[in-house]
Amino acid sequence: MEIGELTYFTIRFFKEVFRRPYEFKEFLRQCYSIGNRSLLLVGITGFIIGLVLTLQTRPTLMEFGAVSWMPSMVGISIVREIGPMITALVCAGKIGSGIGAELGSMRVTEQIDAMEVSGTNPFKYLVVTRVMATTLMIPLLVIFGDAIALYGSYLVEHLKGDVSFALYFNQVFDSLEFGDIVPATVKSFFFGLAIGLVGCFKGYYCKKGTAGVGIAANSAVVFTSLLLFIIDFIAVFVADIFYDL
Amino acid sequence: MKNTNSQKIRLGLFVIIGTTLFVLAVYLIGQKQNMFQNTFTISAYFQNVNGLQKGNNVRYSGINIGTVKNIVMTNDSTIKVDMNIEEGIIAHIKKNAIATIGSDGLVGNMIVNIVPGKGTDEVIADGDIIASYSKIGADDILSTLSVSSENAAILTSDLIKITDAMIKGKGTLAVLLNDTIMAKELRQSVTNLKVASRDASNTISEINQIITSLKTNDNTVLGMLLNDSVSGQNLKVIVSNLEASSKQIQNVIANIDTTIVDFNSGDGAYNYIVNDTTLVNSLQSTLKNINEGTDKFNQNMEALKHNFLIRGYFRKLEKQKEKEERKKQQ
Repeated sequence: MEIGELTYFTIRFFKEVFRRPYEFKEFLRQCYSIGNRSLLLVGITGFIIGLVLTLQTRPTLMEFGAVSWMPSMVGISIVREIGPMITALVCAGKIGSGIGAELGSMRVTEQIDAMEVSGTNPFKYLVVTRVMATTLMIPLLVIFGDAIALYGSYLVEHLKGDVSFALYFNQVFDSLEFGDIVPATVKSFFFGLAIGLVGCFKGYYCKKGTAGVGIAANSAVVFTSLLLFIIDFIAVFVADIFYDL
Repeated sequence: MKNTNSQKIRLGLFVIIGTTLFVLAVYLIGQKQNMFQNTFTISAYFQNVNGLQKGNNVRYSGINIGTVKNIVMTNDSTIKVDMNIEEGIIAHIKKNAIATIGSDGLVGNMIVNIVPGKGTDEVIADGDIIASYSKIGADDILSTLSVSSENAAILTSDLIKITDAMIKGKGTLAVLLNDTIMAKELRQSVTNLKVASRDASNTISEINQIITSLKTNDNTVLGMLLNDSVSGQNLKVIVSNLEASSKQIQNVIANIDTTIVDFNSGDGAYNYIVNDTTLVNSLQSTLKNINEGTDKFNQNMEALKHNFLIRGYFRKLEKQKEKEERKKQQ
């Protein structure tokens, strides 16, 4: 039943998104709060992931005498999978829950009803702006996350293996293809869309009472995380069809 | 909550930097695949591409110069590989260049290696087809290895037979391995050889010393010959004199030869004496006549002794002879 409601919610979003009036200022504000305010979190996570991935993989590669493959391996794993997925999960936790809690509390305090009464379209003002913001900001956050993760990986390689910046990134881009970066970026848009839609859906249809807000925030994160993995799974299949990975 | 200008600037920066990073990544990947450069296409035919794929690198003398554009099967045994090559490299690739398919490292991606051909040729042009050389594949190596291992199995079984025979003491090698007396003798021989070689070495060094002293000492004949330039000059003169003498001797011998020939063939006395048999005969008869003459003369003399006219003379001679004998006896 919930999936049906979510589908209806999604269709409604696509209907509303192209209709006037456009809430551009609210959209920019949401972009700022979703994009800029998540950058530090995404950056730290990405940096640590790059660092840890390289440190953990290094001994195994050293056993095979294949440390020189580290940039290629880390580059492909981060750009294809780890970067988008980690960023999306972090954002699902931070943004999805935030949106769910915010809209849920608005619903509980009848602010959404008040908006409807005052003639403002709450769906357009609250949902469309937020979903659009997440859809556009998550890919940008993923790019930042990838770049910072690769830099973290480079630092380990530089300190442990004396690898220069130029050599490291040359090897990374030597192994990367459009088949890696394009599906990952397209996937990120869908991740953003899923985070925004589920967060808004859970908050928008929040049950009455303070407990409802908590449930909305919590279930937004859980459901988004699950959805992210399903989207990732589908994205891999679709990318395989287009790019013969 | 209202949007402040600083928030807008930060958001703008965030979007710009993020987009720039993405564009940069796309550009770098595209550049690696020669998407933003002018390229030209060359092709090569292979019988086996060993898992080569579209987008694999093309190298010329170890430098990445392009990517594999397309791989098409033209017939049941020939595969055409089209390659996008950077336009800047065109001046360096000649038409006699050879394409081979190799591996980037032990387990790396497959790559097309273009190696320069021998000698000089025209510069390659767009759409040209270059020669190819198919390297031995992993399957071929494995099949060769299986043959080698079969051979190794046969060899080891033979070795087992040989070692068995050796353990049982059959054959020369077994004797060599097992016979302790022979080992002792061999050891002794080796020791003797060692001693002999040491002596030989000493002898050689002594000979060397002698030769050196002979060479360096001017008082010896060899030293004088080797070092004394005056003696050398004298020897040279002697040799030249000897040469002249031998020539003269040769002339003398030639003259003697002619003389002998003249002796033998000419009409001289010698030839007459040696070769004329009539003379010998006449000389023989003359001697015979002389003998007969002397006999007859002796007879005549005996007759004269008995002649009364001169008989007294011979008696006187006899008496005188007897007197002398008597004196001797007294």
